[in-house]
Amino acid sequence: MSKRKQKIADAVIFVVLLLGGLTMLVPFLWMVSTSFKEPGTLFDLPIQLWPDKLHWENYQRVLTAVPFGRWYLNSLIIALGLTFLNLTSGALAGYAFARFSWKGKDVMFLFSLITLMIPAHVLIIPLFIIMSRLGWIDTYYALILPGLFDAFAIFLMRQNFISLPRELEEAALIDGATPWQIYWKIALPLAAPALATLGTFTFLAGWNSFLWPLIATNSIEMRPLTVGLAVFNNQFTTEWTVLMAGLSLATIPPIIVFLAAQKYFIRGLTLGSLKG
Amino acid sequence: MSSYRRFPWLFLLPSLVGFFAFNAGPILISLILSFTNWDVFNPLNPKAIADSWVGLGNYIEMWHDPTLHKSFWNTVYYVAVAVPLEIFISLMVALGLNRDFPGVKLVRTLYLLPTVTSIVAVGLLWRWVLNPYVGPVNMFLRWAGSKIEGLFQLLHLQVPATVHWLATEGPGWLSDERWAMPGIILAAVWAGIGFRMLIFLAGLQNIDKTYYEAASLDGAGPWQQFWHVTLPLLSPTVFLNTLLALIGGFQVFGLVYVMTGGGPLDATNVLLFYLYQKAFGIFPPDMGYASAIAWLLFVLLFALTAIQWQLRKRWVWEEA
Repeated sequence: MSKRKQKIADAVIFVVLLLGGLTMLVPFLWMVSTSFKEPGTLFDLPIQLWPDKLHWENYQRVLTAVPFGRWYLNSLIIALGLTFLNLTSGALAGYAFARFSWKGKDVMFLFSLITLMIPAHVLIIPLFIIMSRLGWIDTYYALILPGLFDAFAIFLMRQNFISLPRELEEAALIDGATPWQIYWKIALPLAAPALATLGTFTFLAGWNSFLWPLIATNSIEMRPLTVGLAVFNNQFTTEWTVLMAGLSLATIPPIIVFLAAQKYFIRGLTLGSLKG
Repeated sequence: MSSYRRFPWLFLLPSLVGFFAFNAGPILISLILSFTNWDVFNPLNPKAIADSWVGLGNYIEMWHDPTLHKSFWNTVYYVAVAVPLEIFISLMVALGLNRDFPGVKLVRTLYLLPTVTSIVAVGLLWRWVLNPYVGPVNMFLRWAGSKIEGLFQLLHLQVPATVHWLATEGPGWLSDERWAMPGIILAAVWAGIGFRMLIFLAGLQNIDKTYYEAASLDGAGPWQQFWHVTLPLLSPTVFLNTLLALIGGFQVFGLVYVMTGGGPLDATNVLLFYLYQKAFGIFPPDMGYASAIAWLLFVLLFALTAIQWQLRKRWVWEEA
């Protein structure tokens, strides 16, 4: 292929990619533009792409009609709680599988890997029953505690601890340190990058989780953002401008966080693909 | 260092508690429930379970349940269209973005925007974008349709019915039985491309550049390089990505919940949504039947993974 032809091909590819990229962006722009439109003018023709005057009352209405701040807080508490629990128990068990040996260890490891094969939807009905019996429906316990065991986190942390050099830990052992001290003071700090990546992924998954919170919450106050929005949708079916104001509030901050920490998110996301 | 030779109670305790209370235990309960018509108002003890035992009753009922059949075929429809589209488009985008040109990072970021948006927000946004009257998709289609119609009139030709329909009406996304599932698929593909692209990019960046140098020395053009170098070396990634997309596709729920609620007339009712309806959307809830649906879905996913795994040997190129 000649140089000239190559250049034309490159230009075509670039334009197609850019058009595709804009297709990703346009719905968001449409959302923001709608959120500033005057309520009730949507069906007028010709349709405006951008309102002449910004109508902030949509935002006022959404913030007074539903507990938006509380939903944000709930999402944050759930995502952070899940991340903390997941990293703590995953790293502990991962270290056990990497550095300890006991009878039945291989069987235990196999069993935990098998749970990766069981999709989450098999668990929701019995989890709901268990949580109701415990009286935990509509509490953070029900939303966070199921993250206590995560085979993926254990597997990932085990691989990470195995790959760490043993010399430091051996030296500390000779100096009389206990395994517990070695874990906290030597092994865990060295695992920081793996923890950060796993943490990013868990946080994202927790923030976006929908099915379980939908089932495990009843009251408006305990809903995370995802469930709040979905139910709120039924309430404001025809008030598009208000709904879009709410959606903008829910979508824009995570996107800003993403843009700020893109590197970690991408690592976390790619890693998450192993989990599926 | 020889490992510590003892059972690390302290290290394993949190995971053990979680495993038995929130994984192994629930799995067992779910399996047992699927053989009963136990409901939430009964006590959860062996006697109540035995009293409500129906054996294979729920599984036999599934065999005769037209709504279940419908939701099964809807799920198949969704997966059969959404997964190939997602894989194909994201592969093309990844190939295009796997090079250096000014602004490549920015374009890549654009594709990732829907990925960081929760699926609920995506669904709500697309309900609005696909609004048949004031949504931008139909506005664009009507505009394009009227241009084509004008062209026909200019040439004094009979305007085809489809063109006229496009110019005046357009698809009744989400509210029309025929267009509801395509609407959901559109949103799903839009939202799914970024993530699949990311995995493809990771795979592409693992391909050793010397292969391309060797191929180009042998006179292979870009097309031949793609068929004989990129595609074979990328096939493990294509495999992984397809498998993940299939597994995810069979568990589609959030989009259906917010975009159509399974309607109109069950046109978008999928397996997981039907399970949800049976267990949490009707009164009294039918937990036993819903559990049986869960296990049906599990068996489907398991079989699908096993088949893929077998086919893997046929088309996935692995370094010997």
